[in-house]
Amino acid sequence: MAVNEKVDAVVVGAGASGSVFAAVLARAGKKVVVLEQGPDWQPKELISSDIWGRRIKPAGGPFLLEGKNPFGYVYQAGWGVGGAALHYFANFPRLLPNDFKMRSEHGRGLDWPISYSDVAPYYDQVAQDVGVSGDAKAEEIWRPAGRPYPMPPMQTFRNGEIWRKGCESSGIRLVPAAVGMNSIEYKGRPACIYDGWCHIGCPIGALANPLVTYLGEARKAGAEVRARAMATRVLTNAQGNKATAVEYYDANKERQVQEASVVVLAAWSAQNPRILLNSATDKHAKGLANGSGLVGKYVMCHFSSGTWALFDEDMQSYLGTTGAQLMSYDRYDKTSRKGAFGSSFIVAGTALKTSDLGGFANARLDLFGPDLATFMKRAARGLTRIGAFGEALPNIENRIELVSDKDEFGMQLGKIVHGFDQDAVALWNANFDEGLKIAKATGAKEVWSARGNMPTIHLMGGTIMGAEAANSVTNSYGQTHEVPNLYVAGPGIFATAGASNPTYTVLALSLRGAEQMAKDWGTIAD
Amino acid sequence: MHDIERRALLKGAGIGALAFCVGGAEVMLTPRAARAQGVALRTLSAAQAAALDALGETLVPGARQAGISHFIDQQISIPAEEALLEARILNVRPPYANFYRAALGAIERASEKLNQGRGFAQLSEAEQRSFVDQMRQAKLEGWQGPPGPFVYLLLRSDAVDVVYGTMDGYAALGIPYKAHIAPTQRW
Repeated sequence: MAVNEKVDAVVVGAGASGSVFAAVLARAGKKVVVLEQGPDWQPKELISSDIWGRRIKPAGGPFLLEGKNPFGYVYQAGWGVGGAALHYFANFPRLLPNDFKMRSEHGRGLDWPISYSDVAPYYDQVAQDVGVSGDAKAEEIWRPAGRPYPMPPMQTFRNGEIWRKGCESSGIRLVPAAVGMNSIEYKGRPACIYDGWCHIGCPIGALANPLVTYLGEARKAGAEVRARAMATRVLTNAQGNKATAVEYYDANKERQVQEASVVVLAAWSAQNPRILLNSATDKHAKGLANGSGLVGKYVMCHFSSGTWALFDEDMQSYLGTTGAQLMSYDRYDKTSRKGAFGSSFIVAGTALKTSDLGGFANARLDLFGPDLATFMKRAARGLTRIGAFGEALPNIENRIELVSDKDEFGMQLGKIVHGFDQDAVALWNANFDEGLKIAKATGAKEVWSARGNMPTIHLMGGTIMGAEAANSVTNSYGQTHEVPNLYVAGPGIFATAGASNPTYTVLALSLRGAEQMAKDWGTIAD
Repeated sequence: MHDIERRALLKGAGIGALAFCVGGAEVMLTPRAARAQGVALRTLSAAQAAALDALGETLVPGARQAGISHFIDQQISIPAEEALLEARILNVRPPYANFYRAALGAIERASEKLNQGRGFAQLSEAEQRSFVDQMRQAKLEGWQGPPGPFVYLLLRSDAVDVVYGTMDGYAALGIPYKAHIAPTQRW
């Protein structure tokens, strides 16, 4: 075992949240080491292919997937520098004020210990930092005013524009989607060319992945990124009240210890609880920072109700981005659907590729043989999709826990147990119903719902934030209640899920937490 | 996997072909070319490859000639973290060869039971279509193996990959591929 020279901060995970902490702390003059379990991907390795794109996802995560609606882990997880944000769609909707006080306002779910106004300035700052395209003024029909986005909206195509007519018929207002992409050159990064390969990694840096934003800045400021470093435990002092180091295994599978004054766990909502639970000591018998018993609990995810519309005309289906061209919060009120509860967030217009889970071959999973071949010809230019993300409420039974089987490093595997409740199912169905109504109003030749197994999208929770140590794992900055120099970053600290794609909020919360850490360093660091 | 093979595959990641073993040497080929050249299989048996070819062709016309069995064989013969299979993102636990053996075994057993001892590759095209339709709906009696609908989803995805997921596939559909970094050899 090698013990590495003590640094100011060790960050576990080189994805969206860890990159923000690394950048802020390195810019503040701190010595930072970032540990990342996978390879050190370079932009030139991001080949434009659904087939090759699978390399930037894990090969069988260290989790068993169980429950009524098992979580689709690998498709959404990251593996390597950049994390899941190397292949995310870069949709950048915000949470809205009604997301933060669900318990107080509706007696359902949980309250966040902060309000929208606490996060809003960080949304605005992140937009400037990474580059967001959109129309902030147009969004003000749903949210308080903020700063304009630094870039105008992205270009739209027929596969997006066609949905305006359909949505109008249902009284749904569409505005330009806020996205972490360049509609024009920004900070030396080129404008998007609308080739639709966002989801396997953008090699030109038009999409704001960590390599070209916060992690790049962290490296410039001196942060060291150690790839193929698999973190297994957070080590603590004898009293159990301070984190002292992170144990990890290097590329040669040799055990290493990186000592640090501050530890930030930013390894996503599944792995962070696994590491905390694996870090149990006599002082923390249930796992580190787990006095509340809530480490691994309240795991949440979104679901999506997609509707397909097929035209004889050329819809430019192959042009655009993987994310959305247009968006709407008009069904975001928690009670907007009769007989269901929770927010829905509508997105329209996406570039379609042939294969992979989101490929248009899967738009009609029932077809095979010559029927599929005929469909592929028609869909290649005539198919388009609208979708509604839905909110699932926090449920303590949805959880991550350790199992007895171990990985190659001797670390216990995790188990993600997940199921949707009746509210979620009702919301899913209601969104399908409206999706069909909208699609029919577009004048499409054929419309159908993308029904199948209820999808599980965007893993959140597992280390939720709260006002008190008894009912949460961290405070609003991600600082654990029990170990002040141990932070958790990422969507795991969300108290509720909302219905918006989470990464913009992840970045905003991480920026808020990192700046607080830097400001109060003297009282936090060991 | 020998180091030299791994290096060859990583080189392949850059140029777009896969590493196949020809006469003891590693050669970068597309699965279509590997099939055309009769490259020896590394993991699948000849019977398994024949069944996979027949299944692929039933699922997506053109999959046999596009080299589906060579694609799968090459992919389940390399370390999981280098694999490009849809199985990876559908949460199949490595090693992926175990899934394919189990799936193909289940298909053969079910086919033989339902068709007087004839394996899937020996069925007529109409019988093959009927079998696959029953499998996708979990209606095959006495099925023993991974769930039929999941086997359908995964093998169908593999067949879509080799027929439509390539630059040639896009060209055949008449839509632009629009690559930033193109896989070469139109793979």
